[in-house]
Amino acid sequence: MTRAWLPLVLMTALIIALGIYADAHSSAFLSKENLSSLLLAALPLIIVSMGQAVALLVGGFDVSVAALMTFCVVLASFTLTPTTSGFALVTGSLALIGVGIGVGLFNAILIRVLRLPSIVATLGTLSILEGGSLWLRGYPQGAINTDVTSALTKSVLGWLPIAFVVVVAVAALADGWLYRTRSGLALRAVGTDERSARRLGMPTGRIVILAFVVCSVMASIAGFYLAAEVQVGSPIIGNQALESIAAAVLGGASLAGGRGSFFGTMLAAFFLTEIDNVLPFFQQPTEYAEMAIGALILLALVLYQAPELIARFRSSRQSIDAVDAPATAA
Amino acid sequence: MSNPGPVTSDVLSVRGLSKAFGAVQALLDVSIDCRSGEIHALVGENGSGKSTLLGIASGFLAPDEGTVEIGGSRLAHHSPAAARRLGLGIAYQDYSHVLDLSVAENLFLAAPADARPAYGQMQSWAHETLATFNLDIPVAAPTGSLPLADRQLLEVAKALLTKPKVLLLDEPTTALGPQDVDGFHTLVLEQVRQGVGVVYVSHRLPEVLAVAGRVTVLRDGVGQGTFEAASVSEDELVALMIGRPLTVAFPERPPLPERADVVLAVAGLRGERFGPVDLEVRKGEILGIAGAEGNGQVPFLRALAGVEPAVGTASCDGAKLDTRSPAGPLRAGVVLLSGDRKGEALFPVLSVRANATIQVLRRLARGGIVLRGRERRAISGLVERLRVRMVSSEQPVQSLSGGNQQKVSLIRPFLRGDVKVILAEEPTQGVDVGARFDIYEALRAKADEGVAAVVKSSDPIELAGLCDRVIVMSRGRIVQEIPRHELGERRIVEAIVGSREGAQT
Repeated sequence: MTRAWLPLVLMTALIIALGIYADAHSSAFLSKENLSSLLLAALPLIIVSMGQAVALLVGGFDVSVAALMTFCVVLASFTLTPTTSGFALVTGSLALIGVGIGVGLFNAILIRVLRLPSIVATLGTLSILEGGSLWLRGYPQGAINTDVTSALTKSVLGWLPIAFVVVVAVAALADGWLYRTRSGLALRAVGTDERSARRLGMPTGRIVILAFVVCSVMASIAGFYLAAEVQVGSPIIGNQALESIAAAVLGGASLAGGRGSFFGTMLAAFFLTEIDNVLPFFQQPTEYAEMAIGALILLALVLYQAPELIARFRSSRQSIDAVDAPATAA
Repeated sequence: MSNPGPVTSDVLSVRGLSKAFGAVQALLDVSIDCRSGEIHALVGENGSGKSTLLGIASGFLAPDEGTVEIGGSRLAHHSPAAARRLGLGIAYQDYSHVLDLSVAENLFLAAPADARPAYGQMQSWAHETLATFNLDIPVAAPTGSLPLADRQLLEVAKALLTKPKVLLLDEPTTALGPQDVDGFHTLVLEQVRQGVGVVYVSHRLPEVLAVAGRVTVLRDGVGQGTFEAASVSEDELVALMIGRPLTVAFPERPPLPERADVVLAVAGLRGERFGPVDLEVRKGEILGIAGAEGNGQVPFLRALAGVEPAVGTASCDGAKLDTRSPAGPLRAGVVLLSGDRKGEALFPVLSVRANATIQVLRRLARGGIVLRGRERRAISGLVERLRVRMVSSEQPVQSLSGGNQQKVSLIRPFLRGDVKVILAEEPTQGVDVGARFDIYEALRAKADEGVAAVVKSSDPIELAGLCDRVIVMSRGRIVQEIPRHELGERRIVEAIVGSREGAQT
């Protein structure tokens, strides 16, 4: 149990520490304007990272998520133009979600039916989507409907985006589902030991396919918020693939599958965005952010796996000793 | 096969099953049925098709031909979930536990919807459930931390949660001590009294015959008949289990010198799945390890090679063997021929030459550069001697047949020259008959040079023909030792099935 709380505690501490440090440097950090832009800027990464966490939970990776987000932005510049209105806005939005479902199914088929390693399969999808974005928009072009974007980014109290509140609530509910229901337990079981899960009669194939579809749909929803940020059909903006994996891992996901936390992922994604956000206050170049993120992932992996490695070492010793111990059964 | 037949009280009815894995016919037209309230034993040697039969009956494998009926309904869609729905429970020999999850979580996942408590009540529910089976297992502990005996009993408890009409048990007592077996049988008999039909796979004839009503024998994937357990003796069953035609010759066994030096000495060695084991192997001797699969033979061999963790001591030529990593035994001249040829023994995409010379490259190099000419000269004689059939030594080793791949891994101990012990795991598995003799001859040739060889094999004919002495392992320990003058297929099988247990130890 302590192991599960470690990422949440660590991420919260880091967010607060960095915030205090930034506030000491510049009073602008806690201004309404900056808070609002920080929370909005964090949304695409938070949403896509929560999707990524689902893929990691079943023991896979999805590196095509950023390319899918970009593709959705480009697509939005066609289906949600400034002149689109009424019912066309609904179908235009559904087109983006539909693309998410389609890409998710495509990935799932490559992984489950054609048995490609998920990292390779989604790398291929990434390339196809990147090419598709550039084919539709050779350069940033095509404004996106501002009615949609302002509705998405609507705030209360002048700084708190409603969408952010919703995302936090969803993350908390999703963790409740993952750790307090049978289907959540089933997802973790499939990610930890697929053969045993199948022997217990679980529909392992369906669960994995569903996980990749959810991951892609989350990426396409993240695409909406990316579109709200850039407001133009840019074919080269999404670069959150590694960051989304980083956020899920920092938030407590195991690269081997079966473990993760949506709330932790949300905190970690927020923290990664916070790093980007505060660097200008210190007049530091943004390259530092990338280096810091890379170092953080490695540090988190070592820190989180350490108890597990120690436990594994101990139990292998103990179970050798247990061979001679009298069995406890009646 | 077209008409469904009359309605019976059979809870499991399997008709005309056939299944092939590549060229190997694992099952051929096998039928078996199990009535409500009956224990039906399924016996046979290693590789006779018992596990394949259970795999198909439980929906994990799809048959090539034949039908499975559970509780009178045909299993149309071959999946474990479908078989469970029809009323089949199975306890796998290698378990279905998610080891990272707790005992309670594993039980919860195994429970059907109507038997499942609220998520929050999982722990107390798991405790009560285990109590009804008279099991005392800590429910909050990760399943991976349980002793093997508990894991085995938990596996059976999980299978019973679905209240199955038919329960399949695959070697359910491998990890249990004799006193636990009695308790386990009480649990099973209680289920039988309530009308459950049990298919009980075991190689321990005395154990299984003590509780079974009928018994079916499999040999080489073919049914040898079904008998009333009370009317058939262990001897008769053993006779049905053995008796494959002899298809391969064995090399001459020279007489062992009366007092050859001990090369490999093992004292109190134990690991997670075996031990403690005490053993001595002499110069020039080929020692066979027999036993039903999963009784510690493979972990023991691997522990000697430093591939699996173990405590206790082993020494080679009087010097203590450092078994903490594979490097120690290798340095000391102890070589493992892994049964997992593609995964462990060979580099499938590398050439025959590279695979053969990989351990001795330093000797074949000048100034750090490996000389191809030297490599080829070094192996050419051995390739001929072992009769490796290949087009060129630059051919990737994966393009060779199984037998020729094994011969390539056998070149290594010949090349090294300083090998003292060869540990061979299933050296002729997947090897065609023609290549077998060459492999036996190579092992015998090394033995004649003074090497001590330990051969783990699931084939009693092979052990009887090749070895100077055979030990039989059960539940991780050596239970019998068979000297050369007693060796024979029947003698070994009798020792494995325990019908002559205690005859000598």
